[in-house]
Amino acid sequence: MGIISVEQADRLYWLGRYTERVYTTLRIFYRSFDTMIDEITDSYREFCEMVDIPDIYGDKSTFLKRYPFDGDNPDSIVSNLNRAYDNAIVLRESIGSETLSYIQLALYEMNKAGKSRAPLIELQRALDDLMAFWGTADDQIDAEQIRNIIKAGKRIERIDLYARLGMKQEALEREVHRMIPRVERSGLEYDPDKLESLQILVKGPELNYYRIVKEVEAIL
Amino acid sequence: MEERIQRLDLLQHTDTVNELLARYGVKFGIYKNHVFKEQLFPFDVIPRIIAREEFLFLERGLKQRVMALNLFIKDIYGKKQIVKDGIVPEDFIFASSGYMAECENTVPPKGIYAHISGIDLVKGKDENWYILEDNLRVPSGASYPMIARELCRRSSPDTFHDNSLEDNRNYADLLRRTMDYVNTGGHVVILTPGRYNAAYFEHSYLAEKTGAHLVNGSELRVKNDRLYYVSMDGSLEPVGAVYRRISDDYLDPMNFRPDSLIGIPHIYDVFRKGNVALLNAPGNGVADDKGIYYFVPKMIRYYLDEEPILSNAPTYLPFYEEDMHYVLENFDKLVLKDVAEAGGYGVIFGNTMTREQKEAFIALLKKEPRRFIAQEVIDFQDLDIVESGSVIPRKADLRAFVLMAEEPLVWKSGLTRFSRNPDSFIVNSSQGGGFKDTWVLSR
Repeated sequence: MGIISVEQADRLYWLGRYTERVYTTLRIFYRSFDTMIDEITDSYREFCEMVDIPDIYGDKSTFLKRYPFDGDNPDSIVSNLNRAYDNAIVLRESIGSETLSYIQLALYEMNKAGKSRAPLIELQRALDDLMAFWGTADDQIDAEQIRNIIKAGKRIERIDLYARLGMKQEALEREVHRMIPRVERSGLEYDPDKLESLQILVKGPELNYYRIVKEVEAIL
Repeated sequence: MEERIQRLDLLQHTDTVNELLARYGVKFGIYKNHVFKEQLFPFDVIPRIIAREEFLFLERGLKQRVMALNLFIKDIYGKKQIVKDGIVPEDFIFASSGYMAECENTVPPKGIYAHISGIDLVKGKDENWYILEDNLRVPSGASYPMIARELCRRSSPDTFHDNSLEDNRNYADLLRRTMDYVNTGGHVVILTPGRYNAAYFEHSYLAEKTGAHLVNGSELRVKNDRLYYVSMDGSLEPVGAVYRRISDDYLDPMNFRPDSLIGIPHIYDVFRKGNVALLNAPGNGVADDKGIYYFVPKMIRYYLDEEPILSNAPTYLPFYEEDMHYVLENFDKLVLKDVAEAGGYGVIFGNTMTREQKEAFIALLKKEPRRFIAQEVIDFQDLDIVESGSVIPRKADLRAFVLMAEEPLVWKSGLTRFSRNPDSFIVNSSQGGGFKDTWVLSR
């Protein structure tokens, strides 16, 4: 059909954002889980601060269970994956059954991991599914605009998360560099001044993470 | 047949096929206690197999039936000659919940009312096929055998190499051809009430496979007697055909239910002016009412001057005194159906009622004779299914799909639904039933 409605564009954009949110937080959780196996102290609190979520967990073991797998916790990884699924499921005709199937598979793996005593194995599979989702989206979605909107969402979310996590300057610079052409080619309405200001912010001698988050959230 | 089934390589791949169906989200939605749940639609790999000659016979009968039903709808919303000639009593038209006065004198593009018909049949132990029900509003189910075939072929190529079958994956092409035939000029869209609809998987899958755009009501707008799709930059793209998967009542709040939040205001006015095709046309419910079913063989004779090729299940209308008498005399061997219900609901077997239930039901029947039909219980053939590694028999029906483009097209496959309960004749997915692929042999 070659035309996209406002609703569809919104779903594509948020599909990009939520899949990226799940992917990046899973990767961080993956590393943190490993650290927490040995430690006695509750370093999970630092994790909550880092990803900017309220500490509702009380102790390490509750955190390890509820943060990734509790569907009733709106900040959990699985809740974000459900949001990605909610957007993907109404986009089958735009992204294709094959691409959609990887979100479905990631959800199955997350649910399996939630019941496992060694969840990192299934979580690895969920990560693989998300990678496959991106690969299939690149390979099989013919409409360039659809790909650009999803990727604009992905890149914006990544900059947002990287800034919140206090990532290094090179990483942020690289992500801003990757995000700009996607936004420009997406057909979405955007604020060019914010793009310019972000470019300046990530090149500055000292990174102002708070401003980077503010600016990236205000692009669209 | 038994031997043929045992030899199927496909049988070894039941789990693989079901895993693939789960992967592709082949689900249906169901509301239980007002809570929406998505469930996988259980698939059984043993297909229903229909020989080529047998299907050719069905094809002729199905085309004949759908042509007569189309002529009936045209007549009812036009001259009403069949009523004037005393073939169908007017009580069965104007009292039907499917009759819509708003559709009077409206002729859809190319004069087609039922573009996509789902006709439910069973095969009796006497080897005869019987029509159980006509579905002319928004029949669903074609997508399930379509994707199942794709995944079965992937799981067991040998099975398909060794058997000569009609390829049923052409359903999307037939559907697209049907939509294009009545397109008044513009885009083709599939209108869905949204992902919480029981058949949402089908809506989205058919959109993907036909290349039509899947839309909800808020993405369409009526302006200057035309229907438009509103694109993200605000431009209006004309729409010429809408395969709508929402019921008549909710289609247009300005013409039908005013509290509908999922419809498009004034879409029916655009349709009435001939500026957009709605598939299926509103008002078709008048022809697939369980009460009207009784009259379909008469319609075939009346409109086509032909003898019906396919038989109805023997049906009685308590509305007629003679039939009421028969129903009361033979209550225990009949199945009674509430004409206003669907999806396997409102179906009661006379022999399963207690004395008190029977008395209460008969009182209701006498009070509202138009509301019920009674049918002889067809002893239909069981089909084998695999359960927990064993092959067991279960009741199964067949939903055949007839599409009306420049000519009627019968899809060479169908949705075979089976009951998972050994004591039940109810095969509906909403009541726990599963599905099978339907193979039509090409040689």
